[in-house]
Amino acid sequence: MKRKSLGFYIRIYFKILAQNLKSQMSYRADFIISTIGMIFTNIAGFVSFWILFTNFSEINGWGYYEMLFLYGFSLVAVTPVQCLFDNNWNLRRYAFSGDFIKYCFRPINLFFYYQSEIFDIKGLGQLAFGIGTIAYSWAKLGLECSILSILKMVVFLISASLVMIALQNAAAASCFWIENSFYILDFVTKLKDYAKYPVTIFSQVFRFIFTFLMPIAFIAYYPALVILRPEEPSVLSWLSPVVGIVMFFISYKIWMRGATRYNGTGS
Amino acid sequence: MSGIISLNNITKEFKVLNRREGLKGSLRDLFSRDYKIVKAVDGITMEVQQGEIVGYLGPNGAGKSTTIKMMTGVLEPTSGELLVGGRVPYKNRSQNAQEIGVVFGQRSQLWWALPLVESFKLLKDIYQISDEQYDSMMKLYGSLVNIEELLHKPVRQMSLGQRTLSDILAAFLHDPKIVFLDEPTIGLDVSMKAKIRTLIQALNREKNTTVILTTHDMGDVDALCRRIVIIDKGKMLYDNDIEHLKGFFGSYRTLKIRVSGDMGKVASEIEKELPEFKVSSDEEWISVLVDEDKSKVLDVLSLLRHKHDIRDMQLEEISTEEVIKKIYEGGVE
Repeated sequence: MKRKSLGFYIRIYFKILAQNLKSQMSYRADFIISTIGMIFTNIAGFVSFWILFTNFSEINGWGYYEMLFLYGFSLVAVTPVQCLFDNNWNLRRYAFSGDFIKYCFRPINLFFYYQSEIFDIKGLGQLAFGIGTIAYSWAKLGLECSILSILKMVVFLISASLVMIALQNAAAASCFWIENSFYILDFVTKLKDYAKYPVTIFSQVFRFIFTFLMPIAFIAYYPALVILRPEEPSVLSWLSPVVGIVMFFISYKIWMRGATRYNGTGS
Repeated sequence: MSGIISLNNITKEFKVLNRREGLKGSLRDLFSRDYKIVKAVDGITMEVQQGEIVGYLGPNGAGKSTTIKMMTGVLEPTSGELLVGGRVPYKNRSQNAQEIGVVFGQRSQLWWALPLVESFKLLKDIYQISDEQYDSMMKLYGSLVNIEELLHKPVRQMSLGQRTLSDILAAFLHDPKIVFLDEPTIGLDVSMKAKIRTLIQALNREKNTTVILTTHDMGDVDALCRRIVIIDKGKMLYDNDIEHLKGFFGSYRTLKIRVSGDMGKVASEIEKELPEFKVSSDEEWISVLVDEDKSKVLDVLSLLRHKHDIRDMQLEEISTEEVIKKIYEGGVE
C-alpha cells in the first residue's frame, strides 16, 4: 500500500469536519450557550484592555492602536489551536482511562486522526473578532496596505499560530509521562495571555524567558513587528516562520513519541 | 506452513517502579530508580491460519491484552518474532491497521455523535473501500442483522448491545484478514450475546476472516471456537482443539442429587463420606465432582442411596467453564 498523500488527508479532514459540525449543531443549547460565553470572554478581554489604555496613553513607547494591533494579532494567532487542536484538552483523560488506544487502530496518521475528531467552532467567533481588531487598528495606524503586506501578514500569522500549537501539543503530550499533567497544559494556556504585549515592556529576565525558553513572544510580538514597524524588525522577527515550523515539528515528534510509548492501562 | 499470524517466542516486559508505602514512601519514590521487570508475556509461540476462530483465554492480568496490543502494532515486543500477514506490526502500524479490525468491548471506536451510517462512510474513506465492496458488505450486513434500525441512530443513543453490534460491523467493513475481538459480549444480555455470536460466526464463514477472540464467557467459546489458547501469567498453558481439552478431563462428571432433610448438613456428611471428590451444594442441589478413573458414578450413587434419601438426581458432563477453571488452577499436567 502506498503512502497516503496530503490530498487524501485534506479530503478526510473535511469529511470529518462536515460531520462534526452537523453533530455540534445538533446539541443546540450547548452550542448557543458556549457561543454566548465565547462572545463575553472576548468582550471582557477587550474591555480590560481598553480600561488599561484610558489610564495610560502609551506603554513604553507603544501607543494604543499599536497595542490593539498586537491584541488582534494574538487573537487570530491562537484561533487555530482553539479550533483544530482542541482535542488536546481531552488527551489526558483518554490516556488515563486507557481509551486512547482506540485511536491506534486506524490506517492513518495517529496525530492527525486524533486531532481531527474535534473541531471547536466557537473559535471562529474569536477569529472574526481578531480580524476586526486588526483591520481597525491597521486603518487607524495608516499602515501600508498592499497585496504584499497582506500576504506577509498571512504568512506571519500562520507562523505565530504554529508556535502556539507547538506549545500546546508539547504540554498536552506531557500526560504520556506525567500523571497529573493538567497543570502544565493550563499553565501554557495562561501564558498565552502575555503574548499580546510587546516583549520590550518586560524586564530583561522575562524578555529572555519569553523569547527563548517559553517562546510566547513569537505568538504575536516578533511576527507582528514585520507589519507593524517594518523599519525596525529584528532578525528574530524574520526568523519567526522558521521558529514556528521547527517548533511544530518538534512538538509533533514529542507527541508521537509519547503516543507510541504509551502502553495503555490493562483491560 | 506459516500462518496469517505467527508468534515465535514472544516476550513483553514492563518496567514497573517498586512503590513504597505511605507518604514518606511516595516522596522517596519521586527520586527512586528502583524498578522491577514484569514479564506480561513470556515466551509465547503460536501460529494461526487464515479463517480460524481462536479463543484466547486466561484469567484477568494473564497477558491477553498485551498480546493483542502487540499483534495490532500498538506495542513492540521486547523479544521474539512476530508477523501478522507477513509484516512486523509494530514497524508497520498503519499498513497493519489496513488489514485488521479491532473491537475492544465497551470502548466504541465509532464517532460518538454520528449516526452509524455516517461513521461507515468515514471508514469507507479512511480505509479506501471501493463502492462495490461497500455495497456488497452492506448487503451482507442487511442479510445478517436488522441494519436499518441501527444505521440512522447516533452511536451515543444506542444501547450497549447495539453499540457492540455496530462496532463489530465496523471492524469487518473493510474486509480485514484478521479481526481481534476483546470481550465482545461483556455486559450483554443473553439474547444479545446469542445475536453477536451468530453474527461473528456468519462473518467468519462468509469472508473467511481470521478471528482472535478473548473472552471470559465460556458460552462464546463453546459457540465459536474450535481451537483455544490459554495463557496465564504470560505463559502459554494450552493450545489445542477444544474437544481435545475436554478429553483431558473427560473422566470427570458431576453428579447432582437432591435429598430430603437439611441439605447443608447432608452435604457436609457426604463430604466426609467421599473425601476423594469435591462436594459443593446450593439451595437446590448437592453436587459431587466424580473422577470416573477412581470410581464409577453409579457406584457413588448407590453408595449415597444407602445412607440418604435421594429424591432426585442429575448427571452433568463437565462444562468448558470448569475445564478452564481447572487449568487456571492447576495446569494441564
